[in-house]
Amino acid sequence: MMKALKRFYLGLVLLFLYAPIAVLIVFSFNTEQNRSQMQGFSLKWYVELFEDEMLLTSLGNTLLIAAMASVIATIIGTYAALIIGKMKPFAKTTTMSIVNIPIINAEIVTGISLMMLFVFLSIPLGFTTLLIAHVAFNVPYVVLSVMPKIRQLNRSTYEAALDLGASHAMAFRKVVLPDIMPGVISGLLLSFTMSLDDFIISYFTTGPGFPTLSVTINTMTKKSVPLSVNALSTLMFVVVFAIMLFINLRKPAKKGDS
Amino acid sequence: MFWNKVSKALKATPLYVWVIMFTVLPLLMICFYAFFEVKLTGIEFTLDYFKAAVTNLDYIKTMGLSFRHAAISTVVCLLVGYPVAYILTGVSERIRGLAVVIFLLPMWMNFLIRTYAMRALIEKGGILSGVFELIGIENGTLIGTDAAIVIGMVYNFLPFMILPIYNSLNKLDHRLVEAAQDLGANAFTVFRKVTLPLSVPGIVSGITMVFMPAVTTFVIPQMLNNKVMTIGSLIEYKFKQEVSASAVSGTGAALSMVLMVLVIISMTLVNKFDKDGEGGGFI
Repeated sequence: MMKALKRFYLGLVLLFLYAPIAVLIVFSFNTEQNRSQMQGFSLKWYVELFEDEMLLTSLGNTLLIAAMASVIATIIGTYAALIIGKMKPFAKTTTMSIVNIPIINAEIVTGISLMMLFVFLSIPLGFTTLLIAHVAFNVPYVVLSVMPKIRQLNRSTYEAALDLGASHAMAFRKVVLPDIMPGVISGLLLSFTMSLDDFIISYFTTGPGFPTLSVTINTMTKKSVPLSVNALSTLMFVVVFAIMLFINLRKPAKKGDS
Repeated sequence: MFWNKVSKALKATPLYVWVIMFTVLPLLMICFYAFFEVKLTGIEFTLDYFKAAVTNLDYIKTMGLSFRHAAISTVVCLLVGYPVAYILTGVSERIRGLAVVIFLLPMWMNFLIRTYAMRALIEKGGILSGVFELIGIENGTLIGTDAAIVIGMVYNFLPFMILPIYNSLNKLDHRLVEAAQDLGANAFTVFRKVTLPLSVPGIVSGITMVFMPAVTTFVIPQMLNNKVMTIGSLIEYKFKQEVSASAVSGTGAALSMVLMVLVIISMTLVNKFDKDGEGGGFI
């Protein structure tokens, strides 16, 4: 009885979470531009999606910014975590709380504060400003993922490498880097997804010449949204769903091995 | 010795430069534009913007409304999300990981697309229109009501409540629950005295993760109920529509400053409940 009730409750919440997505997917196969009535099945919107310059350009911009920003943020963030890890307790807490500001602050405040900086410095809003903004809000997430690994770092192995004749650079590359790598990778993935998904900060820090996918969709919702957006969302959802399924179906097998 | 120190300082310098340039300076910019006016003749100090932000009745009402919407949505997320997280910890280990992922998956869908999907569901002539008319909702749509905003927020932010609570419940030492049961506590007492207090860090993180985006969002109100202004849409309006792209709104800056302070105060209050300060660990 209790079990059935629990299942029913989970089902109800899942229905709430997935009904809009399911409707969105179903209507991506509509024959007409109609969001409330299915008039027939077609792949028309998928074809139109690949002819929609605006959507494709925006998607390209989003992927470019996410790729560049996550790589740059990972380098800066890892470097920052290494430096902060060596600091004395007081300097460490102070620096950490300043680095963490973009996480704690509301996105809209981060967005407009960066926009004002760019206006103040007379940098025209576009690719450069968007890239800087994305790196700026991604760095703290990288620091946050790398920091625990640095705390676990065994100092003696590094010293042992030096004693055995390795240079500082080599000891870093062969001993420190492999140890912190899981944190670096998760920081990279985290900032990549944060960048992909971001709307608010991008909205304030990019110009009309460099729209991201979210910015374009936002403009469209002011007028009418073509169903090719549904088609694009469906494709993106399927990709994410496949990746998450893949990761999670692999995990239990791994556990069983060890 | 001296050069040793210099080389040490130099290594940390790029980090400080970066942080000051892109974290501290932008915040100072908010204060700068809130209190100074840049004119062709020079820079002038002014209290007008700040005064407007804290005394204009319309602005105060807007703030109040935003905090109210966000508070209601956060409470609904907690009431809906806590049982989900609790039930998920009881799912057999074989499929638990997958079950959790299914509840979190919508988080990886673009925020605007999610909100737009919800709009298609509840708009006039939308899928649920007939149902709404049947139960006597005016025009057969929720668009343009406060309920639409709350639904939109709960829909978007629910996974952010479930995840941290699930994490803290999952870490919970099950022996404590068993000990309480052995000592004769009934299911309700065990929950109230053991499970609930130990999941407070998760609840606190969940509230933070839901309340903050909810209070500042401008997408949800603009898409689901554009009849009301929230503080997010007011700031967006000030910066994006009232002034040209290369100008800065002084009132907007002052409002952002006030918003920032209010959010920090509410977050500090919420975090007081998490006495150990360990946090639910979102990442």
